[in-house]
Amino acid sequence: MALNSNEINGIDTMGKDTILKIEDLSIAFGGLKAVDSLSFDIKEKEIFGLIGPNGAGKTTVFNCITQFYKPDRGTVIFRNNKNEVENLVGKKPHEIIKKGLVRTFQNVELIKELSVVDNVLVGCHIEFEASIISQILKLPKARKEEAKYREKAEEVLKHMGLYNIKDHLVAGQPYGVLKRIELARTLMCEPKLIILDEPAAGLNDTETIALIEMVREIKDKFNCSILLVEHDMRFVTDLCDRICAISFGKLLAIGTPQEIQANEQVQAAYLGKGDE
Amino acid sequence: MEKRQKQPIAKMKKGNPIRNYILFGIVLLLLPILVEIGIVQYSHITIFASILIYAIVSLGLNLLVGYSGLVSLGTAGFMGLGTYLAAYFTADLKLPFEISLIISVAIPMIIGVITGLISLRIEGYYLAIATLAISEILRKVFVELDFVTNGFSGKSANYPKLLGFFQLDRNLTYVLVVIFLVLIMIITHNFVNSYTGRALSTMRGSEAAAQAMGINIYRYRLLAFAVAVGFAALGGVLYMHFIKYTYPNTWTLAFSLNILAVIIIGGVRSIPGTIVGSFIVFGVPDLILKKLPVIGQIDGMAYIFNGVLIIVIILFYPMGLVHLWSDVKRKLMTKKRKGE
Repeated sequence: MALNSNEINGIDTMGKDTILKIEDLSIAFGGLKAVDSLSFDIKEKEIFGLIGPNGAGKTTVFNCITQFYKPDRGTVIFRNNKNEVENLVGKKPHEIIKKGLVRTFQNVELIKELSVVDNVLVGCHIEFEASIISQILKLPKARKEEAKYREKAEEVLKHMGLYNIKDHLVAGQPYGVLKRIELARTLMCEPKLIILDEPAAGLNDTETIALIEMVREIKDKFNCSILLVEHDMRFVTDLCDRICAISFGKLLAIGTPQEIQANEQVQAAYLGKGDE
Repeated sequence: MEKRQKQPIAKMKKGNPIRNYILFGIVLLLLPILVEIGIVQYSHITIFASILIYAIVSLGLNLLVGYSGLVSLGTAGFMGLGTYLAAYFTADLKLPFEISLIISVAIPMIIGVITGLISLRIEGYYLAIATLAISEILRKVFVELDFVTNGFSGKSANYPKLLGFFQLDRNLTYVLVVIFLVLIMIITHNFVNSYTGRALSTMRGSEAAAQAMGINIYRYRLLAFAVAVGFAALGGVLYMHFIKYTYPNTWTLAFSLNILAVIIIGGVRSIPGTIVGSFIVFGVPDLILKKLPVIGQIDGMAYIFNGVLIIVIILFYPMGLVHLWSDVKRKLMTKKRKGE
């Protein structure tokens, strides 16, 4: 019961311009507390960075938000695409995208046997409605639907500069391209919040700079918020409006890039200074 | 087997496959004419019809293995159930062929879905174990329920009577089998190229990505399995009305493994590959091996042939024999170019 009233409190206190609010999030694997009483919130149209040393629990936080892991304690409150506020904890992983929350993966999860455009089309899987009979007989409804979303996918690919390889297979594409295809896939479902897990990992300097531009453009064009995890400090400070630094699952500091850079605790965690 | 590089779908979209399937069907329809003229032996039409029926069943399993990454070892049981139901409804209850067909496919599908509901909840591999068990239970039922199934004596039915008055003979039943095969090929093609097919491929490629994109893995696994069972049962119904006889010991694990062999030899994720595989696994032993001196006399030659072939193909040609032709052509082309 106590948890129930907490939930309601969290929902009630969520600000009008807040899109995601995490409160007291905790998860432990065996005895190890991967995330420990973490709280932060993300505003509408904000680019929010989550940073921390290796093993700080950043990806675990993502997995708790998208319900791939079930947190032991805490709430994940999200303002969904119908502008309703709800707690995501306890939902199935495949239900999350329907709320307007979509993610990418640290080790690009694309389907090698499908073409680029087909991979992107998977991103709007939830929008398809044609029945199975309509699909196997290729009735007009299924045909129209397929054509409509294929056109949309091609538009997104054009926007991402991938249109010329749309019919190529994903297998064998360079890493930078794979990252962009995965990003394109997230744009198909009209998301409110996109979660990027190390978007710049494995990219060279030019690609990283291009990515910064691209993420900003996506935010403006698709009118969404972005939450990202990244190791590359320069990338994060250049791109993010606010940053949350964590270490060993615990919050160190939240603030603007300048504030985070100046924070002594963050410096200690990153550079290994300080006492234990 | 699941991790192997598969033939890209994008490549399959070239040309117009549906037109090719219809052409293939028309070519198959020439067989009865060749038999009438006397070029082809009368018994060959039975061998061909069996190959085509097994191809329908294999297409279902290929959908399951190639697209959803699950394996079923219960093909024999569900196909056998299809045969017994078809015989019971048409021979015993005197129901029209069309109604019998629908019920005989629906009942195995319902049993399949129940099996899937239980086993797919845990992990993908449990389906193989659960289906193996169901298949053996069904076979036992075929033996024990002798007041319906006649036990070991087997059960018989007649060639189908369409719309209650149009009695088919052997040649026309063969035509019906060909029509069903072409329909199933088209349906399978549309299915794998639909958003459902994409969802299945995504699920097989990356469960995490599938879930993140809103694909309900449990539901789609269940769907793929239900389709595979449905195709197996349809194959059973056609088998019953063409062979006109069913017997419990036909529907053993060995048969299920033969269907698995069809798709491995022919080509996973390939519709033409499944047909090629069916011709090799079920056609070559009867049509070619039995005619050879010495080799033809060995008992169980078909099993030896298929076993050796599977080993050779997995080791040296894991994509399946359907790609042999295009690969040879490509090799010749590059050689030609080098020569110039």
